[in-house]
Amino acid sequence: MFIYLQRCPILLRFLVVLFFLHTVFIASVKATQAGEEKVTIVAKNVPLRDVFKSITKQTGYHLFYSPEVVNVLERVSLEVKQQPVDDVLQSLLGNKNLTWVYNEDAIAIRVKEKSPDEKKRIDRIEDDSITNPLPQTVTGKVTDANGNAIPGATVMVKGTREGATADAEGKFTLHNVKNRSVLVISSIGYEARELTVKGKSILAQLNMDVQALDETVVIAYGTTSQRLSTGNIATVKAEEIERQPVNNPLLALQGRVPGLFIQQSTGLPGTAVRVQVQGQNSILNGNDPLYVIDGVPYSSQSLPNLGAILAPPNGQSAIVGNNPLGFINPADIESITVLKDADATSIYGSRAANGAILITTKKGKAGDTRVSINMQKGWGKVPRKLDLLNRDQYLEMRHEALRNDSKTISPTDYDLNGTWDTLRSTDWQKELIGKAAAYFDVQASVSGGNDNTQYLIGSGFHRETTVFPGDFSDQKGSVHFNINNKSKNQKFKVQLSGSYLIDNNHLPNQDLTSYAVQLAPVAPKLYLPDGTLNWQTDGNGKATWENPLRYTLTKYHNKTTNLTSNGMLSYTIIPGLDISTSMGYTNMQSSDKQLTGMNYYRPEDRPFNIPIGVYGSYNINSWIVEPQINLKRQFGPGRIDALLGSTIQQTNSNSQQLIGGGFANDLLLEDIKSASILIVSSTLDQIYKYNALFGRLNYNLFDKYIVNLAARRDGSSRFGPENRFHNFYSVAGAWIFSKENFLKNNVSFLSFGKVRASYGTTGSDQIQDYRYINLYNKVNSDLAYLGGTGLEPASLYNPYLQWEETRKLQLGLDIGLLGDRILLNTNYIRNRSSNQLLDYPLPGTTGFNGIARNLPATVENSAWEFTVNTVNTKSRNLTWSMNFNITLPKNKLHAFPNIEQTSYASSYIVGEPITFINRFHFLGVDKTTGLYIFENRKGDQTSSPSKPDDQIVRINTSPKFYGGLQNSFTYKRFNLTFLLQFVKQRAQDIDFGISLPGAFFSLGNQPITVVKRWKQVNDNSNIQRYNSDYSRNTPYFNAVDSDMGYGDASFIRLKNLSLSYQLAETLSRQIRLNNLRIYAQAQNILTFTNYKGLDPETRSSLTLPSLRVFTVGFQANL
Amino acid sequence: MNANINCSDERLDHLITLLKHFAITLRQYGIITLATFMITVIFLCSCSKFVEVEAPKTSINQENVFSNDATATAILTGIYIKMSGRNLSSIGGISTIPFVTGLSGDELILYNNVNNPIYIAYYQNSLTTSNVGAQDYWNELYKTIYTCNSAIEGLDKATSISPIVKKQLLGESKFIRALNFFYLLNLYGDLPITRTTDYSINGTLNRSPKSQVYELIIQDLLDALNLLTDNYVDNSLVNPTSERVRPNVWAAKALLARVYLYNKNYVEAENMASQVINNTALYHLNALNEIFLKNSAEAIWQLQPVNNDFNTEDARFFIIPQTGLSDQWPVYLSQQLLSSFETGDRRKTQWLGFFVDTTITPHKTYYYPFKYKVSERYEPVTEYATVLRLGEQYLIRAEARAQLGKLTEAADDLYSIRERAGLGKVIPSSQLAMLEAILHERQVELFTEWGHRWLDLKRFKKVDEVMTIVTPLKGGVWSTNWQLYPIPEADMRFNPNIIQNPGY
Repeated sequence: MFIYLQRCPILLRFLVVLFFLHTVFIASVKATQAGEEKVTIVAKNVPLRDVFKSITKQTGYHLFYSPEVVNVLERVSLEVKQQPVDDVLQSLLGNKNLTWVYNEDAIAIRVKEKSPDEKKRIDRIEDDSITNPLPQTVTGKVTDANGNAIPGATVMVKGTREGATADAEGKFTLHNVKNRSVLVISSIGYEARELTVKGKSILAQLNMDVQALDETVVIAYGTTSQRLSTGNIATVKAEEIERQPVNNPLLALQGRVPGLFIQQSTGLPGTAVRVQVQGQNSILNGNDPLYVIDGVPYSSQSLPNLGAILAPPNGQSAIVGNNPLGFINPADIESITVLKDADATSIYGSRAANGAILITTKKGKAGDTRVSINMQKGWGKVPRKLDLLNRDQYLEMRHEALRNDSKTISPTDYDLNGTWDTLRSTDWQKELIGKAAAYFDVQASVSGGNDNTQYLIGSGFHRETTVFPGDFSDQKGSVHFNINNKSKNQKFKVQLSGSYLIDNNHLPNQDLTSYAVQLAPVAPKLYLPDGTLNWQTDGNGKATWENPLRYTLTKYHNKTTNLTSNGMLSYTIIPGLDISTSMGYTNMQSSDKQLTGMNYYRPEDRPFNIPIGVYGSYNINSWIVEPQINLKRQFGPGRIDALLGSTIQQTNSNSQQLIGGGFANDLLLEDIKSASILIVSSTLDQIYKYNALFGRLNYNLFDKYIVNLAARRDGSSRFGPENRFHNFYSVAGAWIFSKENFLKNNVSFLSFGKVRASYGTTGSDQIQDYRYINLYNKVNSDLAYLGGTGLEPASLYNPYLQWEETRKLQLGLDIGLLGDRILLNTNYIRNRSSNQLLDYPLPGTTGFNGIARNLPATVENSAWEFTVNTVNTKSRNLTWSMNFNITLPKNKLHAFPNIEQTSYASSYIVGEPITFINRFHFLGVDKTTGLYIFENRKGDQTSSPSKPDDQIVRINTSPKFYGGLQNSFTYKRFNLTFLLQFVKQRAQDIDFGISLPGAFFSLGNQPITVVKRWKQVNDNSNIQRYNSDYSRNTPYFNAVDSDMGYGDASFIRLKNLSLSYQLAETLSRQIRLNNLRIYAQAQNILTFTNYKGLDPETRSSLTLPSLRVFTVGFQANL
Repeated sequence: MNANINCSDERLDHLITLLKHFAITLRQYGIITLATFMITVIFLCSCSKFVEVEAPKTSINQENVFSNDATATAILTGIYIKMSGRNLSSIGGISTIPFVTGLSGDELILYNNVNNPIYIAYYQNSLTTSNVGAQDYWNELYKTIYTCNSAIEGLDKATSISPIVKKQLLGESKFIRALNFFYLLNLYGDLPITRTTDYSINGTLNRSPKSQVYELIIQDLLDALNLLTDNYVDNSLVNPTSERVRPNVWAAKALLARVYLYNKNYVEAENMASQVINNTALYHLNALNEIFLKNSAEAIWQLQPVNNDFNTEDARFFIIPQTGLSDQWPVYLSQQLLSSFETGDRRKTQWLGFFVDTTITPHKTYYYPFKYKVSERYEPVTEYATVLRLGEQYLIRAEARAQLGKLTEAADDLYSIRERAGLGKVIPSSQLAMLEAILHERQVELFTEWGHRWLDLKRFKKVDEVMTIVTPLKGGVWSTNWQLYPIPEADMRFNPNIIQNPGY
């Protein structure tokens, strides 16, 4: 076998690799002594595995090793001609503290135990195949690379039904086996292999199969595998993330991870995403998990922005409340690991009470320079329209409402009095949110490197427009790089990664969805013939409606840049003992502008308003240094893995906002210097410091019994001097019982079995900075008062603030069946959060709404989490795999001593979920008055129940269960994957109307459900009489706030569908591309639900629902 | 893991010894020792100084606030700024009381195209506990009281503030606290008396009976009398100024006169009002169109405008622009008020403005309060929002005297007000008739000012009589319970000792 890999054009190089992979060249070299066989190998930077294959082909030796001992993916370069195989191995493995043993037809590689020169050689069993052509009895032994017996291994004679199972010592016997027949030897967890019978006794060694259970899983300060982990960990990989056209990587986790509940707040690009790991631990405060990107903690709180802080003109609520993960390019992510239990998270101490989400970015791989490109284009649409009143139904409602209230059509009933054209009928949903949003995404990367240095440079561009009329878009450009280097002696390692993303978000100042569903069908045209906004003014020149497109004239631009970077230096002092330091720096900067020109205002408001620009700039930077010592060595009969480290972290945030006025005209708004008046409306300057000491000790005995201990001491600047520090710990153990002989021998279908348990503590310091100091803030005003400024108390302060602590108990059972083709994971979790750190709500008499304080409440979250992974079919052409997960969460207030003395007395009940909300009990509509009636606390009927006393029904708004089902089919070159997400929950619905049915204020349309209203005495209805003057607003609101206002919001959603086709190499090469894959992907395709509102996920009808996105694209290597 | 958290000197010595030791061993053991040493140092440094932060530069902590005159003064200034800058349409601040009590009572009509549920609830006397409107005044006024309490506590402890400033600020704090309790009491009835910043006390109080709240108000105002300056001072609190925008002793007396009157202590009410009226060096009645000008002679306490380009928020909010009523200009004056002006009352022409809607036939005229006249942008500042004025003192004294049986003197005081409106003297036929005349005079003199009408209706026990007629006209149903606003839901929920007002 000759392999020439030299500098040549990429295509040619690829051909050579293919040639190498496909050519069969067996050199029949016979040597007198094992290891003396001559081989010829010329390889440049190829995986060790390929060299091994070449050796096998040339010598007939199969090489055996366990993946922990030999990294066969390691790239090596070699040039030998007719050298003894032993010398070749010496040059390849000699410096790796390894030794190898020759068997009949195998070389087993293992860790050198004694002197380096000791090479045990076993003489080959004499080949008597020629002398004995008759069928004979063959005995043999099946072992792993280390020579350990593999009981239960199956040995079949190929092409027959003859076979045997290895006994407890790995031994088997086969009768009547013809010489030269081929045996197929397989066992769960090992790669199957074929062996030609050449004698009476056979020693078959099997390599461990690197499969799902053994894939590397990233954990806090290290890695492990699903097989050996003691914690509750779930991983989602790049291929699954890439399959989904989403703009926030968190959305790619929906329905995939048990115990993780993710909710999108609106369908607009760049908006908030709610994430909850294993339920709501904290009664009120931060339930955000800890995000860690390549070892560096990443903010879970978004930067403040104008949209969120300053109410835009007229008190309209703003729409942009971004999530910081939206500033991470999903395409840069290699894997996302969700850590849930104490074992996995307590080493993060105070920050991980709500779990941790670790994001690992893509790293360079050694090998040829690889250029890959992935491009997709698509469309997003609002997936569902509300069923609203049509024009006639709307007019009927309005007239009836006036009749009900004994009113005549008034000068302000513009929809009825002729000011508006009552013959018009507009589908506002089509008009305002009916457009298709464009979706475009392109990613390119270059990677490569050699044995010692690898690099990756990737770049991406992403653009999404909105479904609103007008030119709005969210545009992201990003660069990602990674460099790894290790010294020649492998002792010193450097790793550097960084990502930089620029997000340019242009949005209107208001989500138009609320207008789309509420504007009367007879509302006027949007534009006048001259192209300006139509205000449909009355005789005084006053607008008769609020033209929704005014919000498209107040532009909101947000430009955010995000830099995340990290570096790692490590040095191996002696084999097994490493010291390292990781360093990280993140900087998120954003600047935004909210520009309100005169054309935004209604004509009558213009004399009282001026063009105003609000300009904000925000900056969060954070650095972290984490020195660590890591010890890995054999200790007694087992392996020890110990870690000791320290964290020093600081986060600075500052911001300022300016308001500019007095612009000569609207066009000058973009430029702040054109403002003649400039006011600094707010400034912010905060520092958060964090310091910790942590350690972990892992002991692994025979890969069977594993104990993991972790501890951390944390200090945070968010607490007063008395309570700054706190200790956290965890204890965990796992028993891989399938390795026990009594099971190994007797239960053959069980390929893997592990029980896990962990218990420990984590904490939370998720409160605002400085809550322990009594602070005064400046009172904002345009002008000074008598030349002086004003101050006011910022909030109530509490110098005794302490950490919140969550005790997590977790029990797990992992089972692999039929050669791990079926993997079952079961977890039972019970988390108890105590010393609740919360914004304790206070009566107004205290001057504020609440205070940050600790309360002795204990909230318990328990859950069952199940995951099933199966490979249903695996044949040459068709592979069908399935993944199913379901979480059954339960939440309750476990204890709350003296609750009756606190302000929670009426909100929470010990033993009941904290997600319960109290609501009125709906009785229907009074047959005489036509008004909603409710049951009060005394059991009487009333149409004016009072809060909170009469809120006698409790409704649980948290999901009852949720999960996902994914199926993946690969047929020849096609792949089809789809994910069904399901949630069982209750939420507020729109049965009673979106606002008071019958009233009018330029908005007023209603869902079709209101037509079943009460019309006259003795009518039996669940919808109260139409009402035009808001005099029946209170019963309406009470009904919305009653138990009947809440409906089933469960849904099953075809979340993701992806179809791809890998072009045949011959074909794709003709167009000068490699690995060309074309695909079509779709998100939020179908939703099955009883929910009447727009979207059961956002649980709202007034905000844009999650869009249905279709894309097509291709991926290729150059 | 128990960590060396405290970096004491002792530990530092220890460190140095360690250092020497390592220096020696370093040579012997080389790199391993070096690494161990480095790591040890890192861990030793893992101490509390890494988690100590200073207060943010954008805020001031309490110690600093009460360490110098300027920042201490700024606390009270902050209250005035918030009072002055508050837009009337954003219900809740004490200065929006004219708008909201006008809606609740018989002064204002809400434009029927306005669907703000809070406006409607106040207007139709249909507030509920769940109505967000219910918490507006309660929360805002208690917050101001908290600020006063924190100022009083801070000033009491302060050592480096000059005595004059400290005295004035204590006086202002007590005055403002009294003012806020006065309005809370009259809007909500019995109140929890909060006199500290301790939330654990403030959040669990019972509602004290009206009389006890009045005791506190009176005590605060009496204290203020002794603390506040005689003349008007500028931001230094020392130098006199013509700007009447910080309360002085006369403001305290004027408010005290009102409180005594409400409390039926007519002797003291007369006495206090007389003291203010007799200070002719500072105060005298102005012509109708000069009362609300800045630093007018009738003004006892005014608020300086703080919003760019505008005079008063009253003018901006009440004066209906040429394009007519809308959700930004949602109210106009009621027929009840308009028809209560006597013929020839100059206030009808000088204090009422109108807007004619020509889009409908017949054209409709809407009247609005025109006491403050400058509503446009960019006009020079000529008007200040007037909180306390001499006119009210005459009416207080008239009422006190009438109650004391001094009907002639009462008629004289009343005439002082009527005269400038171009009206004649009321001849008192009986005490009751005199009081009726005073109530009527207060209606047309003090309309849309500081909730006088709403409070008077209740004080004169006329509220049921009047509102039984008015509320149905507004689309609501009157009950005597609606004369008190409901205690907010949050307080009911979070303070188990609070009892709701009847009917809610």
